[in-house]
Formats: sequence, structure tokens, C-alpha cells
Amino acid sequence: MGSESMTCGEFQKILPDIMEGQRKAEHAAHLQSCSACSGLVSDLSLISQQARLLQASEEPSPRVWNQIEIALRQEGLIRQPGRDRSLVPAFSRRWSLAWLLPVAAILVIAFGVTVYKGGRSQQIASNRVAAPVAMSLAANSNDDQQLLEVVGSRTPSMRTSYADNLQNVNAYIRDAEQTVQNDPNDEEAQRSLMAAYEQKAMVYEMALDRSLP
Amino acid sequence: MTDARKPQGDRLSESEAIERAKQGDAEAFQVLYDLHKRRVYSLCLRMTANTAEAEDLTQEAFLQLFRKIGTFRGESAFSTWLHRMAVNVVLMRLRKKSLPVVPLEETVETEDEAPKKELGAQDAKLAGSIDRLELQRAIEALPPGYRSIFVLHDVEGYEHNEIAGMVGCSIGNSKSQLHKARMKSKP
Repeated sequence: MGSESMTCGEFQKILPDIMEGQRKAEHAAHLQSCSACSGLVSDLSLISQQARLLQASEEPSPRVWNQIEIALRQEGLIRQPGRDRSLVPAFSRRWSLAWLLPVAAILVIAFGVTVYKGGRSQQIASNRVAAPVAMSLAANSNDDQQLLEVVGSRTPSMRTSYADNLQNVNAYIRDAEQTVQNDPNDEEAQRSLMAAYEQKAMVYEMALDRSLP
Repeated sequence: MTDARKPQGDRLSESEAIERAKQGDAEAFQVLYDLHKRRVYSLCLRMTANTAEAEDLTQEAFLQLFRKIGTFRGESAFSTWLHRMAVNVVLMRLRKKSLPVVPLEETVETEDEAPKKELGAQDAKLAGSIDRLELQRAIEALPPGYRSIFVLHDVEGYEHNEIAGMVGCSIGNSKSQLHKARMKSKP
């Protein structure tokens, strides 16, 4: 008969449509007469409403932005504005942190160039590589600590992130150096070493930029 | 600041940041990231249920966006553009991992899926409130295919026709899988 109300089974079979708002009079009638089905509908509605509250509810760690920034700089998408590239005013603004402009970064790049060029001429002996490697690592360790102290004092939340970055890039450098030591004439290894040094210099540059007032 | 679009002191507005990011301005990139990081990261986290993977995907989504920002002409909202890109990045990753983006069709409704327990009294756990952590865990426990549809619809607010286009299924399938995901999310 037309006046017969629908069963729970019939109601729940079309529940997906009902939840989408396709509600007819017979559905409303069943909901009014059936506490189980009306409870189910309200439970599912509640889940749906609460789910929306999960949008944008989580914060990524600072490491994510750091990695993005490194990649943007490596890809040349971040360009230094002209005013900041002017060495004299930049230096005068940065004087208090100028010591941080890492000797290490310059050293590692210079060293990297030396190794790279040397490798190309097929003249590097492994003992020529080992000594400066040890020197550069020792020097960098102190510079890293100083850098982290400054980052920690200016932006404490970023200290751990920078420590992680330095740890990663130092490990990268160590691996690359080891490979070059094993085969000083391996051009691919020398390129990796150069890239590792450049990455470290970039971490220093980012820290310095971030630490500026 | 008198400019109403600069609610956070000297920080750039979104439209200013977009224009400056096109010029390679570092601060502009960070402003855009800060404005949208929570939404993108939360999406990635809900879809993958894995923190490390979510961070990786967030990074990938923003990098893709920043690489293409020069092509953004403002015809659509920037946030819409970004979130769509993030969804694509996540779905691509799920496909690469051979995880089902579209839930497997269940042609026969099994007895197990019939909502038998709802035929009884109303579930006291859900009467009036549902614990957010409990819901998060329930979403994490969903099979990847169900989870994708649920997150895209109920969390992110996409319509079924949009979801169908994104994941490559029919609108009906999207509706049906969403319903099953909600049923499975009940405590």
C-alpha cells in the first residue's frame, strides 16, 4: 500500500543519497518513526561536520620550509634583490654578524674548486686531498656551532632545524669527500663534493639572511 | 599600516606576495607558505596517515607551485590553485605506491557491511559529540581508497563531481564510497 512506511533495510539502502540531501517525505516519515535510523543519520552527519574541523588543523615542522627554501635557492627561484646585493651597505648592516659570513663557506667552496680543477687535470694524489679535508671539517665544526648559537639567539624555533640541516649536509660532504679520497680522479665524485659544499654555503647564507634584523 | 590587506603588520598581503614571488623575492615565498602551510600539510597528512610522507609531499606541492607561480594569472583563487595542486601531488604519490586511490568496487554488499548495529539503540558514543582524536584515528585506519574520498569530501569540501574527476571514478562511486568510509569511521 502507498501508505505503508519503508523498512529500515530499505531506508539504509538509499542512505547515501539521503545523506546527500535527497530526502523525500517517506524518508522523513521513517526518520520520525525510527530512532535507530534517525540516530544513524545524526551520527553520520556529525562525523561529516567534525571532519571539516580537521581541515588545516596540523602544523608542519620548520624543517619543511627550510628544505623548500634550500631548493628554491638551488633552483635560482629566489633571487637576491639588488639592494641587498650591494656589498658596502649590506656589510655595514651586517657588521655585527659579519664574522658569521662563514670562513667555512668560503673555504669549502675554494677547496671544492681546487679539488675539482685538480681532478680534471688528473693530477690529484689522495694524500693531497686528505689533509685539507681534515682541516676543513675541523674548522667547520666550530663555525657550525657559532652559526647555531646565533640562529638560536635570533630565532630559537629554527635552531633544531638548522642543526638538522647542517648535520645532513656535513654527512653529505663526508660521503663525497670519502669518495674523492678513494678515487681522486673520479669527476662525478668531485662534482658531488662541489654540490655538497655549495649546499652548505647556502645553509649559511640562509641563516645569515634570516638572522638580519 | 593603513592597507587593510596587511593585517599582520608589515607582512605582505597574498596578492602582493604573489607578485613579488614572481620576481624571486624570498620573503614573498615564505609569506605564501605561511598562509597555506597548515591546509596543505593537513591534507597530505590525512591522505597518507604518515608524518614523514606528509612533510615530503607538502614540500613537493609548494615547490611545484613556486616553480609555476610565474604562470598564475589570478583567474582562479590562489588557494584553490594551490590546494588542487597539492591534491594532485598526493594522488600521484599514492598511485606510484600502487595504493588504491579509488576504492575497490564492491559489487556485492556483504552481510558484514550491512549496518546491523544501527538497528539497535542510538550509539551513545556519538550522541552529541565525537572526539577529534578518535575521528583522526578512524580516518587513519581507513583503507587508502576510502580515506582519499572521505578526506577530499568531508574534510576538504570537494564535491563529488570534482572528486570523480580527480581520482578517476564515477560520481556514484564517489558517493557510495564516501558513505562506506563514514560508516567505517563510526566508533
